[in-house]
Amino acid sequence: MNDRRKLLKTSALAALGAGLYGVAPFYGPWKTNRAWAQSAQKKPLVIGLTMDSSGQYAASGADERLGAMMAIKEFNAKGGVLGRQVEAIHMDTETTPATGTRIAERMITRNDAAFLVGAVHSGVANAISQVAQKYGCVYLNTNSSSPTEAGKDCHRVKFVWDGNGTNFSHAIVKNAMKVNGKNWLLLTNDYVWGHTTSKATRAIIEANGGKVVDELLVPQNTRDFASYLLKIQQIKPDVVATAVGGDDIKALRQQVVQSKMNMKPAWINNQQDWPDVYGLGPDAIFGVFGTNWYWKLDLPGVKEFVAAYQKQYPGVAIQTPGNVYYNGYMATRELLRAVERVGTTNNLKVIPELENLKVSAKDRMQNFDAYMNPATHQLQQTIYMASYNDHPTEKDDIYKILAQVPPQEVEDKDAAGACKLEPLAATPSYEQ
Amino acid sequence: MDWFVQLLPHLVNGVALGLLFALLALGFMLIVGVMETINLAHGSLFALGMYAAVFLITPKLGWFPETQAAYLALPLGTRYAIALLIAPVLVGIFGMALELCLRRTYGKDPLYGLLLTFGAALVIEELIRVVWGSAERQLPVPESLSGAVLIGDLLYARYRFFAAGFACLMIGLLWLFLEKTPYGAIVKAGAHDSEMVRALGINLSRLRLFVFALGVGLAAIAGVVMAPIWGVRPQVGVDAVVPAFLIIVLGGVGSLWGAVTAGLLVGLAVGLTGAYASEWSLLSMYLLFIAVVTFRSRGLFGKKSVLDT
Repeated sequence: MNDRRKLLKTSALAALGAGLYGVAPFYGPWKTNRAWAQSAQKKPLVIGLTMDSSGQYAASGADERLGAMMAIKEFNAKGGVLGRQVEAIHMDTETTPATGTRIAERMITRNDAAFLVGAVHSGVANAISQVAQKYGCVYLNTNSSSPTEAGKDCHRVKFVWDGNGTNFSHAIVKNAMKVNGKNWLLLTNDYVWGHTTSKATRAIIEANGGKVVDELLVPQNTRDFASYLLKIQQIKPDVVATAVGGDDIKALRQQVVQSKMNMKPAWINNQQDWPDVYGLGPDAIFGVFGTNWYWKLDLPGVKEFVAAYQKQYPGVAIQTPGNVYYNGYMATRELLRAVERVGTTNNLKVIPELENLKVSAKDRMQNFDAYMNPATHQLQQTIYMASYNDHPTEKDDIYKILAQVPPQEVEDKDAAGACKLEPLAATPSYEQ
Repeated sequence: MDWFVQLLPHLVNGVALGLLFALLALGFMLIVGVMETINLAHGSLFALGMYAAVFLITPKLGWFPETQAAYLALPLGTRYAIALLIAPVLVGIFGMALELCLRRTYGKDPLYGLLLTFGAALVIEELIRVVWGSAERQLPVPESLSGAVLIGDLLYARYRFFAAGFACLMIGLLWLFLEKTPYGAIVKAGAHDSEMVRALGINLSRLRLFVFALGVGLAAIAGVVMAPIWGVRPQVGVDAVVPAFLIIVLGGVGSLWGAVTAGLLVGLAVGLTGAYASEWSLLSMYLLFIAVVTFRSRGLFGKKSVLDT
């Protein structure tokens, strides 16, 4: 009886194993190219979204992801790219460089991602781009704005879509010195973006006869700024220039308001990302800051762009698109357009196409034409100087655009010297 | 003397910050000390307290617009007081449900409890995202507590003084409860020898349920008080759990005064380095921790903990 049961069990297991073995070739990862070769349907074009869902830049990571997804949706609605549907896979880079490295490796080697898109934190962007360069996978740094990204940490496969700290400093600092005074204090997030942005700000201050009276470094994830605010009061600078981002700047803004320091001294925030200010309330949006796009710009296409966002994402907390979403969208759109133009996803064709990219002001919904700098791989674009809008026309109309500066006037002139792009011939060929 | 005038505001700030850190760690201390369970969901429950307060101060009752309007007509101060009282109760009830899940891990490898509370932390954070969304929220503060006070020629946030004073009050109340009431004696006895407590006819399961709810309620109170300072966002719990854990180990596991002293030391270290060597401000608490634990592995008040008295 026992033997019979054993036999039955063994047979059942063997049958199950054989069954699984039989169906196995029909499943499995995309690497099984045979299955696609036999089918009429083309293999999907996979874009790996390397965006933060947790950590300091979780809110911005979520926002840029919506932008990339919107661009992908638009291309799929037109029938995809090169006859292939575009699929997005997202993994949380956790605002942590080590995670960025791991996820980039995984997306390239296991998920067959054709391209990687996304980053807010410069350390994460740098980590991802090193992996991408190793394989030759084109990578779009959508929202990380450390000058090093298009400077010493540039790579042949990496393209930077946001304005950087130097661009924003050029747009804001000189004017602020005339209005507010020459004694400046720098409040700097203690990582690569903060350091490089403050360095650029310092250079412009000193070149224009100003003085940096002190620089206070803010470790990432600082939640209590009381000691900084006391120190600022003791030093009494004319202007405080902050290079603080993500959840840190939200906490800082709230505590500045609580201490009634929002009117004096003058505050300059190098770049203000929309998700970091959305919902904070009018008091907390003090000072002058930089951005590369605003949803109420009086330019062709902006209204339609905003309406498309609101139609596609009716339930999201951020009800109007901002600069982070915009960069995610624009970067992905231009990448897919470039693929269509060259007729292949091969990196050795796509890279030169992106290097020579020119986008009209109308197409980018900005005031001036934009162009890719082939020596640094950073998109040169309009930079806006903004402050809080005292007379909003509707609920989210919280910015007042003070000036728009053409890309030539805010160019990061040191970047080309610092950036040593790997030769295209030395970059591995990559195609998915 | 001039240097002291310069230093004094930072010492005051360090003490205020320290009291807030101590408040943050009280609930964590109670649960670890009495139940020997490291509640990694402490930070998420702290965040839940913040969101419960946001709901209680600015409720959105879609189906009951008249009730909502009538409630919102109450002065902000009244609604804030309601939030301060009710949010910890609501989160405490949630904590009770968590304790019921945790029971299966008692007496087993401590890793099970650690894993369960870690999982709970992730679930609570996602729950917050689903219910309230991922965007930043504001906790309005009554007019009487907002704004700044001028001391000398420096501005201080008035709310910060309120928060530090409230932390003192909570520390005092918890001490009175543990030391001067028969219930506190039972809680301490349960920590000292749970089998003996059971043998004396005290319902140990109920005691654990109560202690866990109390600890979670304290986390929620800390969340409500800290919300206007740190801001309200789903991932804020991560910012809370690490210093809370560090403070209870630094102070000596289960020691009330150890947690308070450690909180004050951490606050002073962070506050002073923030002013004079700002890049070290967050690292300073870890350096302090290493320095103390190197020479006194049970923490500052380790031998005089609730477990040992």
